[in-house]
Amino acid sequence: MDLTFNERETAFRDELRAWLAANDPGPRPEDADEDATFEWMRSWQRTMAADKWAGVHWPEEYGGRGATITESAIFFEELGRARRPLPANVLGIVMGGPTLMVWGTDEQKERFLPHILDASEHWCQGFSEPEAGSDLAALKTRAVKDGDDWVVTGQKVWTSGAQYAKWCMLVARTDMDAPKHKGLTYFLMDMEQEGVQVRPLRQITGSAEFNELFLEGARIPDANVIGGVGNGWKVALTTLMNERSGLAFFLQVRLRQLLDDVIEEAASRGLLDDPVVADKLADLHVKAEILRLTAYRGLTAIEKYGQPGPEGSLTKWLWSDTNQQLTSFAAELFGDWAYTAGNRWAYELMRARGNSIEGGTTEILKNIIAERVLGLPRLK
Amino acid sequence: MNFDFTEDQHEIKRTARDLLAKRSTFEKVREHAEAGTYDGGLWKELAGLGWPGIAVAEEHGGQGLGVVELAILCEELGYACAATPFLGTATAALAIEAAGSDDQKAAWLPKLAAGEARGALGLAGQLIPDAAGADVVVVAEDGGLRLAGGGDVEAVDAIDPTRRHGKVAGGAGEPLGGDAAAALDRALVAVAAELVGVSQRALDMTVAYVKDRKQFETPVGAYQAVSHRCAQMLLHTEGARSATYFGAWAADAEPERLPEAAAIAKAAASEAGKEVTASAIQAHGGIGFTWEADVHWLYKRAQLDAQLLGGARTHRAAVARLLAGRLCPRPSWQECASTASCSSRCCCSPRR
Repeated sequence: MDLTFNERETAFRDELRAWLAANDPGPRPEDADEDATFEWMRSWQRTMAADKWAGVHWPEEYGGRGATITESAIFFEELGRARRPLPANVLGIVMGGPTLMVWGTDEQKERFLPHILDASEHWCQGFSEPEAGSDLAALKTRAVKDGDDWVVTGQKVWTSGAQYAKWCMLVARTDMDAPKHKGLTYFLMDMEQEGVQVRPLRQITGSAEFNELFLEGARIPDANVIGGVGNGWKVALTTLMNERSGLAFFLQVRLRQLLDDVIEEAASRGLLDDPVVADKLADLHVKAEILRLTAYRGLTAIEKYGQPGPEGSLTKWLWSDTNQQLTSFAAELFGDWAYTAGNRWAYELMRARGNSIEGGTTEILKNIIAERVLGLPRLK
Repeated sequence: MNFDFTEDQHEIKRTARDLLAKRSTFEKVREHAEAGTYDGGLWKELAGLGWPGIAVAEEHGGQGLGVVELAILCEELGYACAATPFLGTATAALAIEAAGSDDQKAAWLPKLAAGEARGALGLAGQLIPDAAGADVVVVAEDGGLRLAGGGDVEAVDAIDPTRRHGKVAGGAGEPLGGDAAAALDRALVAVAAELVGVSQRALDMTVAYVKDRKQFETPVGAYQAVSHRCAQMLLHTEGARSATYFGAWAADAEPERLPEAAAIAKAAASEAGKEVTASAIQAHGGIGFTWEADVHWLYKRAQLDAQLLGGARTHRAAVARLLAGRLCPRPSWQECASTASCSSRCCCSPRR
């Protein structure tokens, strides 16, 4: 057991820290101004890409640094610690690129990968549908072969960044007769066409991170099938498995900072002398530390045994739970100020409700833990 | 970064698990709990293997290994809910090694390491596991430690019948002059490790039971009300484990991080132990409430361990003091710049 970084990891971290200290995208635009925020993150990604920091976990041949999984975690941790934003095309970098590296043809890799990292082509994810949330394989969007093209009809939802995207990682049903996991195909769909309509989806925070996609006769050339017709479920799982690989560390650090800010704000109001407040803040600190440590245990399991241990499925649950408790307590602690529209803590309070839903609901995570980690039977 | 045991440590864990599965079955635990005795045969065997002295320096007759190895044994003995005076003896030795004079070390460590003398450690005036019948008791009082003798112990029957408990009044015995905090922090990690083992056993028993037990022609573990309870038990157990292993590592490798790590480990493990064993009783249904089922040994062990050296609330208070101590000394942190006088975690240091 050695919970320090080795020489290579330390060197990686120090180089990154120095770079982050020297490079700053400037102040974040107003939350309400989504276009300005996107441009701010895109320009930040270009800055990162110029110095090969945009896709550190990508192999060097694709413009990355071939970072190990621990270095990749360090990358996201340091990015969060320096209070720098994620790159704009984080879905492409973290999920899309790695999926193509596993399943794409040489032509597809050559065509798509470079533009992911340099921020010239934005990516979005077309998986969930109004009738297919947790039960993703129940999706109904259809793709029908027409000459060398596929013609797509259906509806997708929760599509972040769709209004800026050039490519959509789309899973659609190509065989209506096959069992539900078997009849799916994974496509890269060009978003810039008539058959694709994007409508912003306003959240309880008032802003619109997500969109709905309406697909009416959207066309996809056969060359943009990823991983073969009928193999879409497996390809989609590759995408989903990459979803939180390193991002967990970014979220973990964000929670840490939010907690540090609550403690400082509470201290400045003289609230730390209240033993009830001190107890709750200490409890949140304990949870934040457990989250950090458990995430590192998960990394070791992947590095040593090639697969996540039971820790892997626990961190997302622990993160969402703790973040919700933290933001709820912060708002209660700071009172009316925190419940005033436009206040930072008001935003965090509302945004945190999404944490236990996005990227796998807590209920689904509990099912996964019960069935795959504990080996409990499934309800028939 | 490697958050895993070495091959040797894995071997210690496997050996301990296998040995205790054979020698410390629940039948044995029950037999000794009901008789109000320790399992002398088992204790002799463990002493022969050098377990009580695993973290005692070789010059004092121990194996010279660290708190990580000790934590591994504590976890496994907790898993077995073994009726031995191990925890008291090992933590007393830890404290004497960390805070004792040369004479005190020479007088006690070889005997404790060999299992020839029994020890205990706890707070003055509070229930101390393994104290009744102990030859030496390390008593924490007002930030310092004292070394009391067996004659200073008042035996008390506690709700955990797998151990002999006692109390020692303040002021008894001779002072143990060294670093009391370092000694107690190491002991906290050992107790936390035992709680992790207790929790893991309660979880394993529960999972086995709910797979087997059928109602409405269905294994009850298939119902989400039950399976989600089990998932929550795993979350508690693994969280406490992360915190405890970190504390054990810090004790051996980065002692400056130990005060925080030990408080976090004890706070997390105390809560996990109580939650998980209570959940185990609930998931076992009516049978879980009977003397005949074995989950109650774990529930009772968890209560006493959780209380030992202060419960979750006590250690969260310690964490809160550490957090407050790191805050910027200036009244308005927003305006201050990093200065040489600021600690590395102070808000004055470059934003983390």
